[in-house]
Amino acid sequence: MRLFLKEHALLIVVQLIQFLVIFAVYWMGGSRKLLLGLYSIFLGVFFLACYLIYHYMSRSRFYKKLCTELADMEAVLEPSGRAPVAVALDQVLKDQYRLYTKQITEAEERQEGHLEFMDRWVHQMKTPLSVIELTAQNLDEPDSSSLREETEQLQRGLNTVLYMARLRTIEKDFHIKPVELSKLIQEVNMEHRRYYIRSGVYPQFSESRPGITVETDEKWLFFILSQLIYNAVKYSAGKSDHIQLSVYERGGFAILEVSDEGIGIPSADRKRIYHKFFTGSNGRKYRESTGMGLYLVKEVCTYLGHGIEMESEVSKGTVFRIVFKPSQNLTGM
Amino acid sequence: MEKIMIVEDDPKLAEHLRQFIAKYGYEPVVAKDFEQVIELFHQEQPQLVLLDINLPMFDGYYWCRQIRLVSICPVIFISARTGEMDQVMALENGGDDFITKPFHPDIVMAKIRSQLRRAYGAYAAKQAERVLETAGLQLFPERFELRFHEQTVSLTKKETDILESLMERHPRVAGREDLLEKLWDEQTFVDENTLNVNMARVRKKLQELGIEQAVETVRGAGYRLRTTWEEPDA
Repeated sequence: MRLFLKEHALLIVVQLIQFLVIFAVYWMGGSRKLLLGLYSIFLGVFFLACYLIYHYMSRSRFYKKLCTELADMEAVLEPSGRAPVAVALDQVLKDQYRLYTKQITEAEERQEGHLEFMDRWVHQMKTPLSVIELTAQNLDEPDSSSLREETEQLQRGLNTVLYMARLRTIEKDFHIKPVELSKLIQEVNMEHRRYYIRSGVYPQFSESRPGITVETDEKWLFFILSQLIYNAVKYSAGKSDHIQLSVYERGGFAILEVSDEGIGIPSADRKRIYHKFFTGSNGRKYRESTGMGLYLVKEVCTYLGHGIEMESEVSKGTVFRIVFKPSQNLTGM
Repeated sequence: MEKIMIVEDDPKLAEHLRQFIAKYGYEPVVAKDFEQVIELFHQEQPQLVLLDINLPMFDGYYWCRQIRLVSICPVIFISARTGEMDQVMALENGGDDFITKPFHPDIVMAKIRSQLRRAYGAYAAKQAERVLETAGLQLFPERFELRFHEQTVSLTKKETDILESLMERHPRVAGREDLLEKLWDEQTFVDENTLNVNMARVRKKLQELGIEQAVETVRGAGYRLRTTWEEPDA
């Protein structure tokens, strides 16, 4: 309504001036019939009002559409009436919508193709990696170990790429089921045993009661735990010879804790550790920091509905905790 | 001797597989023509098939279905894919097990052995017991025994693992990391101390057999077995 009045304000003013001018000419011309003059002005105003009302009624949807905020892309396609302007507007919007959707579809296809390419490429790299690794096993020490250290690093990198690519489609890549935490920890430790050995940092494990089980996605939790352990070991090497993995309950919540006595995270960096590509001052001191690990951990935890806590003190160590809600804690059920 | 057919299109990887399958006393057969996998299968009649999924012409799933039409022999898939869907696909197409690249030779051998046992029974397999021998010193890794000059000592699992590595690597150095990796088992976590303690026990066991100074420590690398003993007359 307001837009309509604004749009027609000038017309109304011009019309009113016109009535006055006509009345003035009529009055100056010597006619002194006041009632007749006023009556003709009334007629003029009446027709103007009729026109405006008709105009508004026939275009109310058009004006309403112009005034309301769009809720989604499709709202643009709702017809705005049969008036010629409305029809023309609808046509323009439809064209624009078509062009944009085409562009979006193209962009999505490009991205899809890119992800597909990454996925295949990463998997293809695994065959040469296997060959290098097996060949390295037949070499003399210390070359053999040193070469395998590099292939493991490559493999870790490839895995991160895979998980990164999968994160976009995590909704489709989810299998929630009961997972016993102590078993998962054993598997993760087994998987990373060479990394522990090489770093001279060994895991210690404790659980407050046996069989603490949570509802989660095993594969993603495996990934999260690997990242946390990887960091804990990396920042402990040379300073401490163990990291502590604990599973316990805290008032209905189940907790998976990875704590180290490593170098700790400077307070200035603590707030930003979950940011993408953030490496912090520790990351710059150590090689092979991508700034992706904790970002991925945080993202995945959010998807899985797990909490994540961090406590750290410089040169004392760092504690990361994955917190499973009471509804996800299946222990003793 | 069980025949194991290897269908892997990367020739080097196939060669590695062939070598350690042969080392463990099986007879490896490597497929070279990936259009005629099933013909080779008929010709060789293997007891087990290692099958890569990504192959030229047809994929591993296809070949597994073809094999399943004529045989129930165990098929182990080897693939770079780690997703659950891929494993489900492998099982649905008739596979018995799944190994992901990059793999450790020990895992491949363990899976081969367990599939053979499941399919043909523990005693049906007339496979000779594995024996490692270095200049007359004989290790029986399945019995946890070490024999020298008609004299036998029994070993623990960890001692056997250490001696197995030393003898397999002989005359090269067995890396510290490899030894620790081998000692690492699922229940108990090992550390440096575990290796030192067990290495001392191995030296003692060798002394019981009259072998002195045979395990040499190579600083920064690992341990090496030196044949300091007299080889018994065969």
